[in-house]
Amino acid sequence: MSSSRTETLVDVVMPQMGVSVSEGTLVEWKKGVGDHVERDEVICAISTDKIDTDVESPASGTVVEILVGVDETVDVGTVMARIGTEGAAPAPPSEPEPVAAAPSAPPDAGNGDRPRRYSPVVQRIAAEHGIDLSRVRGTGRGGRVRKQDVLALVQDGADGDEPPLHIESPYRPEPSPAAGTLSRIRRQIGEHMKRSLDTAATCTTWIEADMSRVEEARTRLGITALPIVARCTIDALREFPSLNAWLEGDAYTVHDAVHLGIAVSLGEDGLIVPVVHDAQDLAPEGLAKRIRELARRARARELTPDDVRGGTFTITNPGQYGSIMATPVINQPQVAILDLEAIVKRAVVVDDAIAIRPMTILGLSWDHRALDGAVAAQFLAAIKRRVESWS
Amino acid sequence: MSTMTYLQAISDGLREEMRADDRVFLMGEDIGVFGGAFKVTDGFIDEFGADRVMDTPLAESAIIGTAIGAGVVGLRPVCEMQFSDFISCGFDQLVNVAGKTHYRFGLNVPITVRLPSGGGFGGGPFHSQNPEAWFMHAPGLKVVAPSTAEDAKGLLIGAIRDPNPVLFFEHKHLYRRVKGEVPGGTYTTPFRARVALEGDDLAVIAYGAMVHTALEAAEDLDGASVRVLDLRSLVPLDEEAILDSVRRCSKVVVLDEANATCAAGAQVAALIAERGFEDLDGPVVRVSTPDVPIPFSPPLEQAVLPSVDRVREACRELLAY
Repeated sequence: MSSSRTETLVDVVMPQMGVSVSEGTLVEWKKGVGDHVERDEVICAISTDKIDTDVESPASGTVVEILVGVDETVDVGTVMARIGTEGAAPAPPSEPEPVAAAPSAPPDAGNGDRPRRYSPVVQRIAAEHGIDLSRVRGTGRGGRVRKQDVLALVQDGADGDEPPLHIESPYRPEPSPAAGTLSRIRRQIGEHMKRSLDTAATCTTWIEADMSRVEEARTRLGITALPIVARCTIDALREFPSLNAWLEGDAYTVHDAVHLGIAVSLGEDGLIVPVVHDAQDLAPEGLAKRIRELARRARARELTPDDVRGGTFTITNPGQYGSIMATPVINQPQVAILDLEAIVKRAVVVDDAIAIRPMTILGLSWDHRALDGAVAAQFLAAIKRRVESWS
Repeated sequence: MSTMTYLQAISDGLREEMRADDRVFLMGEDIGVFGGAFKVTDGFIDEFGADRVMDTPLAESAIIGTAIGAGVVGLRPVCEMQFSDFISCGFDQLVNVAGKTHYRFGLNVPITVRLPSGGGFGGGPFHSQNPEAWFMHAPGLKVVAPSTAEDAKGLLIGAIRDPNPVLFFEHKHLYRRVKGEVPGGTYTTPFRARVALEGDDLAVIAYGAMVHTALEAAEDLDGASVRVLDLRSLVPLDEEAILDSVRRCSKVVVLDEANATCAAGAQVAALIAERGFEDLDGPVVRVSTPDVPIPFSPPLEQAVLPSVDRVREACRELLAY
């Protein structure tokens, strides 16, 4: 006897993850054909640029069709799967009932008899450091996780292999080859870097700058040198707009606004370059705040695709390890990238006397297709002038 | 620098500012010939004369009303309420006239009202109250409450120089119990909070006499690192100092001697709930006097006022949370 099919099919489509995203890649199916899925339950994982996201089912029912395979890239709005809603009878009578086949227990946050609750400060610290609170041993009343419990974990981590929060260059050496294949984000970084070197006529120019005034100002403001150098760079870009530009084939676009990319390390997981949009409107204090916030969100995996798009110039800042020079790779389709390395006290000649000054070497990789060495040198000199006369 | 009691520091501040500025004069009940109920103005009439140290009738409304007029025409009156409890008789002049004159007419009312407040000495229900919060609620009035001799002098001179009406709450229980080094001459203490004790595990936020209760409680807390924040000024309230303590410690005991409902500490707790939520690692705990009149009976009075033991117990509970 065949049941009457009152089935209604609901489409699962590639979602719009931010206004500027047009396509996405299917990373993993969490459900197969015949599996039961609840409304809002995760059905698959997708990736847009470097941002991974789970896709939730729009309806309860049974997966009747999967149309997009793993690693396939499709446009936003493309139907990836179809769900047969309740009342549907997708399986022939001879097969076992598939709906009852997956009674896996729902994930439980706590392992005790009642759910654990966390105070605001504990949740915030855990989110900032990517700590799984269900695995933290609590020393408070009734095993409650207290601030000091999660701080102790952060402290342990800091002493070990987890690097502290910092801004760092995209161009660290490749990690030593481990068995297995590269992670997806590493593959994407690799493709971007290689494409840049294949596309641009990359040259690097360096200039030395006296950071006395920057050091004094940043101590006073309680920020790092990066936002002050960024502000000087933005002003220099306004003076030399030809570096605040995109070169795509023969199309050369000079931008009015400065959307400043800042390279942020994600530790083992690679790096990402979130963008401070309209950076020309921000003072160093504001830049510091935005950079900190973007870095935090990057590490908490909270960036949206729009956060990493639209950059017109990039700064990389790997100086906290003491390195003094690098040849950064241009972030395509931009035409230049500035490298801020360590600030080191050195003996320098000032007015024919030897003085001790905090010095740094500012490096600029630039695309010889878009500009010539004289402009690059003038641009670096403009940054240097602003840095040395900062007040 | 010389060592003074809290009361001597108040006298010294009044005297030095009267010497420095002849617009400053005093009004109050029995402050002239008798030298004041607590002898704060003892000898003042000999130095400054009855024109600047005026004995008034028992009429708080008249004292404050006269001061407002004198302030508007450019003088710097300092009124003494014999006990802060009596200010309810001057409430209308203070809340409706002094506090709103600048808003309505653009005129400054640079008056200072001294208010001997607080209990702990068997004074009973009419001589022991802490009515700070009545005036925190009324726009246009500033409210300060020192806990040390140095701050008592500096805040009093700051109050006299402030172009707004300032209520200066001086705690009677501290008058002769608290001593400290006090700079000579005139100086002002900013209307901002002060860290009375540095610490990271828990913050006790208090003002006036309760700062000393908090410091004593913090001495014996099993090695915990307790921070004590002395608010000094209730209006304006130093919100950044409060939130900074929350950020550092994540656990807060708010302590005041006033009756619990809508006290200064309630405002502090509300501020923390609104703007310090993300930094909290436990409930905001309040220690205060229950909503009852202060009893005459010394044992009963000790039972209702926040004691060192009660504060310590509250800290222990919160530390263990």
